[in-house]
Amino acid sequence: MMLYVPIALIFIPVFSALIIYLIKAQSIRYLAFVAQIAMTVLAILYYEAYTGQFADTFFVIGGWHERVGISLINDELSLSFVFLSLFIWWMVLIYTFNTGQNHRTFLFFLMFLQGVFLGLLQTNDLFNMFVFLELMTILVAILVVFKKAGDSFRAGIYYLLLNISGVMMFLIGIILIYFTFGTINVNSVQTVIAAGELVSGDEVALRFAYVLLMAGISVKAALFPVHSWLPKAHGVAMSAISGLLSGLVVKGGLYLFLRVNQMFAGANIDYALFFYIIGALTAVIGVMFALTQKDMKQVLAYHTISQVGIVMMGLSHYDPQTVYGGLLHIFNHALFKSLLFLGAGVIIKAYKTKKIKEIRGVMRTMPVVSIFMIIGMLSITGAPFFNGFISKSIIKYGIQDSGIKYWILFIVNIGTATSFIKMAQVFFGPKPMTIRLRSLEQRIALMTLAFACVVLGNFYIPISTGFFGVDVSHVSVFQWEAFFDYAVALIIGFCFYKLVIEKDPLTVRKIREFNLSFEMSNYLFVLYVAVMTVYFVLL
Amino acid sequence: MNPLLTFVVILIGFYGLSTSSNIIKSVFCVTIIESGVILLFLNLGNLDGGVIPIIGDALPVGGIADPLPQALMITTIVIGSTVTALALMLCIKVFHHYGTVEWAEILSRESGK
Repeated sequence: MMLYVPIALIFIPVFSALIIYLIKAQSIRYLAFVAQIAMTVLAILYYEAYTGQFADTFFVIGGWHERVGISLINDELSLSFVFLSLFIWWMVLIYTFNTGQNHRTFLFFLMFLQGVFLGLLQTNDLFNMFVFLELMTILVAILVVFKKAGDSFRAGIYYLLLNISGVMMFLIGIILIYFTFGTINVNSVQTVIAAGELVSGDEVALRFAYVLLMAGISVKAALFPVHSWLPKAHGVAMSAISGLLSGLVVKGGLYLFLRVNQMFAGANIDYALFFYIIGALTAVIGVMFALTQKDMKQVLAYHTISQVGIVMMGLSHYDPQTVYGGLLHIFNHALFKSLLFLGAGVIIKAYKTKKIKEIRGVMRTMPVVSIFMIIGMLSITGAPFFNGFISKSIIKYGIQDSGIKYWILFIVNIGTATSFIKMAQVFFGPKPMTIRLRSLEQRIALMTLAFACVVLGNFYIPISTGFFGVDVSHVSVFQWEAFFDYAVALIIGFCFYKLVIEKDPLTVRKIREFNLSFEMSNYLFVLYVAVMTVYFVLL
Repeated sequence: MNPLLTFVVILIGFYGLSTSSNIIKSVFCVTIIESGVILLFLNLGNLDGGVIPIIGDALPVGGIADPLPQALMITTIVIGSTVTALALMLCIKVFHHYGTVEWAEILSRESGK
């Protein structure tokens, strides 16, 4: 019976979403919690049942041959993502529970998205991956425009069209794989590639398929030339939705990056250098734009881009330790970015403005929320004893031999510190006359996320060895250099803020007003695919 | 139809996406890309002189066409129509909000106005 839990994980949220939408009673909302509890329990039981023997989790729906049927499989990677998504959805559900009039419709899309996302994580079929990606794009577009106000419509259509063209590239890649190997089952393709019996024509088709799959994934993960949809979409959506999208849904692309590289492991594609450069560019450009923004949510959204870049800097290595650093940073980023977005949501709602300059004295009006926000900020800037520090240190440890790689990470750290020093100003200043909003649900969600950040930052060794079997004991919080590095980054960041950013010179203003047009983004996307084709296929 | 021709269709779609300044045109370009992809897949799965893949008694002389591309493309068409519907709905909303469907104009507006 345990074998079919993945199906339950996909369909429980979908069906509960439908029931919530169809039955017109306010109390039906509690069904979301029932479904969530059921899924959490099932996922834990499933993990217990299959620990250490993940090859047994493979099964084909409907009894078809495994080369043509829809199959599902789980391993440590997908299950860790499943637990992460359940956790983040719990938080978002709790956070949004007593807000909004149109709550049933909102819950419908929220729960549906969860089912689709869990499907994306567990599928073993390339075409199903495409279907889930496409559904995810549609649902996210709807959730972005859900507020039905201001700029959400233009952000929604920008997001939708750019992502759909990316997903179409993904589909062409799948077609090439199907006609090269006659199957779209990830495991079968992986076995065939690993066997290494490819004729020369197949080799080219395979590499071209890799390029197209990566093009689609890059759009979903918001890598450098095709990142422009993210700040637009995440900056205008409701705060809870921004937290969910930035924290988790972007990670769907990174998860597929890991999966596809696993699948192509036998093809000897040298991806590390290329994606390291892309990751570094993403990180630097994200942080550069974040520095110039004045809108609280835009700052956080651009930081998502730069953190995705840091994750890519970790993931594009062959050494498993550094890859694990990138993977851990995915989890850490999910926790602290959701925390920051949800906290920012509370502040924005109370002050009725998103401008950092107009928000002052949060420490006095909302002391509890500010403590959680400060925990999130310490985590994202990589302070020792908080979770961002751990994953950044693992990545740093992996790239310490290469000078330039190390310095790029250091520059990104300084930029992050600078922009959060800028944002930390909202805590100080005189107490303004505002209404105090006290919502127990929101506080519970924030507290749990902050708690998770601190726990991961201190008990990372048992968690890593217990779940992934990776030994990270070389990273120690009690190191003189760790504090020294952090202090240096903070001091340089503070000077940089005082000397440059605060004066708002012309360059900063120009960067802030720089707007990548839709045509230009698509042009860059095609150019990106062309560059990848030259790099991976022709060279 | 040569599969390479479908690549031309797909490239026309991408050309349109990177040049057209109108949202409606962009939506159509996405639809064109999608049609190109569907045509490509069906073309590669086609078999000249083959029979449609429906369960029968004996294997026909000319062989049967590959059923999997057809099954997959039905799904793609369904999702594609959803995307088009949603995109056009958003176009209407954008038009109501900004009074125009030109990318340059709606993106250059200062937010919140």
